[in-house]
Amino acid sequence: MYQMRKLVTSLAAITAISAGAAVLQLKMTVQEKTDEVQALAQKIHDDQAAIRVLEAEWAYLTSPRILQERSVEFLALMPPKATQILRDPVAIPYRPRGVDVDGAKDAGVVRPVAVRAGGKKSPPKKDGSL
Amino acid sequence: MSTLTLNVGRPLEISRPSGIALARNRLVVAVLLFCVAFLVMAARTVELGINAAAPVKAAIRQVAVPPVEFGRADILDRNGEILATSLETASLYADPSQITDPGLIAHQLVAVLPELSVAAIEAKLTSSKKFVWLKKNLTPSQKWKVNALGIPAFQFRRDEERLYPHGRLAAHVLGFVDIDNKGLGGVEHFFNSSLSDLSNVKHALNLSIDIRVQYALADELEAAMRAYQAKGAAGVVMDVNTGEVLGMVSLPDFDPNNIRGVSNQALFNRATKGVYELGSTFKTFTFAAALDDGIVDLSDGYDASKPIKVARFTIHDDHPKNRFLTLPEIFTYSSNIGAAKMALDLGADRQQKFLAELGLLSPSNIELTEVGAPIYPATWRKSSTMTISYGHGIAVSPMQLASGISAVVNGGRLVPATLVHNSDNWRYGKQVITQDTSRKIRQLLRLAVSKGTGRRANAIGYRVGGKTGTAEKPVAGGYDDRALISSFMGVYPMDDPQYVVFALLDEPKGTKETFGFAAGGWVAAPVVRNVILRTAPLLGIAPKKEDEGLYQKVALMIEE
Repeated sequence: MYQMRKLVTSLAAITAISAGAAVLQLKMTVQEKTDEVQALAQKIHDDQAAIRVLEAEWAYLTSPRILQERSVEFLALMPPKATQILRDPVAIPYRPRGVDVDGAKDAGVVRPVAVRAGGKKSPPKKDGSL
Repeated sequence: MSTLTLNVGRPLEISRPSGIALARNRLVVAVLLFCVAFLVMAARTVELGINAAAPVKAAIRQVAVPPVEFGRADILDRNGEILATSLETASLYADPSQITDPGLIAHQLVAVLPELSVAAIEAKLTSSKKFVWLKKNLTPSQKWKVNALGIPAFQFRRDEERLYPHGRLAAHVLGFVDIDNKGLGGVEHFFNSSLSDLSNVKHALNLSIDIRVQYALADELEAAMRAYQAKGAAGVVMDVNTGEVLGMVSLPDFDPNNIRGVSNQALFNRATKGVYELGSTFKTFTFAAALDDGIVDLSDGYDASKPIKVARFTIHDDHPKNRFLTLPEIFTYSSNIGAAKMALDLGADRQQKFLAELGLLSPSNIELTEVGAPIYPATWRKSSTMTISYGHGIAVSPMQLASGISAVVNGGRLVPATLVHNSDNWRYGKQVITQDTSRKIRQLLRLAVSKGTGRRANAIGYRVGGKTGTAEKPVAGGYDDRALISSFMGVYPMDDPQYVVFALLDEPKGTKETFGFAAGGWVAAPVVRNVILRTAPLLGIAPKKEDEGLYQKVALMIEE
């Protein structure tokens, strides 16, 4: 009888201690997660602030005046003539057709050769003709 | 306990065992209660284990992300491109009382911020004040460098800077802000209260401006201003159906990011505040009024064989034909004599009423405070009627003209000009002339470009119509025939008008290419053509072959 009682007492003690330890562990984990969420919220805030700066920078870098300067410097593009503009791309003779060209996503857009077949890019002309 | 107190001082043989028994009994009851409780819990545990547990909703925790705070709403163009935004910056201040060696510290600071002067900083740091501003709006890297100096007397305050990423482009539309971010010009001033309303700061202001169109217009006007050594230039691109302004340029312009030392001339908005005698473009209104009233018909004509003498001056034709002219000829060859005679038939009252209906006698109602009031004679004499018929003796702003022209070509509906993106704006319009008159005006405008004075505006494929305008600048006691205001007002595509493009050059000089001419048809028309060629593809107007039949009947009345 005495043995039995001793066993029950020690079992109860072990259970109580391990339960306490588990609860402490849980609490610490929750605290850790809360800190993590706080840090994430702060990071989202910082990123949002950074996005505002980046958007302003993007607007500056893609300002039409700057794009035109870059275009004159690196591309040999000329303003399009009225005769070069078509309402319907189907009017182009021998135009290749298929998934690559008439895909549902960007029907009517012919991708540059460089993108489709990995063709070589020609160096930019530097005669400034525009 | 009562038993115990009663039996004090006596042998407690009986009461003691009964006390233990009572305690034991009570303990048994407690143990039993606990056992029952544990049994209930065990039963519940088993039940939970057997039954599929109902889905338990985790408590929803709202994670509050601190919002990015800024004190002034952004301004966007019609496609969402940023035109003005507010960014967080740091402003540097110091407490001079904490500084022991101002000379050394001033040198250290200027080494990091070279735009400051050592003497000025040293003077500030030796002052007896407790607080001096050293520099406003530092960039993050500058702030880092100043912090790296490790001077405890230097402190930062969170500040905000208004930034215009496109610089000078659209400067007169946007305006600028002062050092406390208060709007002082353009839409920044007009919409200051709503832009700085902190509860509304997340909602950006969407302008009707298209920054690509704005650039094409500014670029072409700048080039023309340089080529013809003009003193200034102005331009407007407007949607004829909604009154939305897609581009508004005034040159010389300024950079709203840095307005220190900008001259008043650069701040002056020639497109809305400047009022000019615009010359022959006004003939469009004379024709619209006369045709709409049924006073004349396209098949009528006037004798323009000799100049008219009125009061102390004579009305000449700039492109004299010295013969009887039909109405389409008067318009395409821009005959002042013909227009003046037509205005006399129309009458001063009707002319005045018509111009007032088109909003040409009251300031433009555009969303800017820089709006000029038109100038016209207080007493409308016979001579005024005649000169106003071809755009002299009345001065209006380019914006008013663009609005008026939009109304006469879009089917006769006058829509108020607006800088705010709102495609429903046409609802606020009112009918000023009939659809039929508007159709006739469209034919006349197209022929003025294909056969008349506006040939240099003919952007092939885009069916441009328009009218040149050349006016001598008024000087004390008359007009200066060497100082011109040369303009061109173009509309396209003429079979279904969408946009009006107006270009004005202030005192252009003729060049070898223009054979010394500086009239609107020579210097301003090519600007309009180039703007149309550059912007039509962006605005989704496809070039196509012209339907000659639309103009054939009227074209036959024009003799070369």
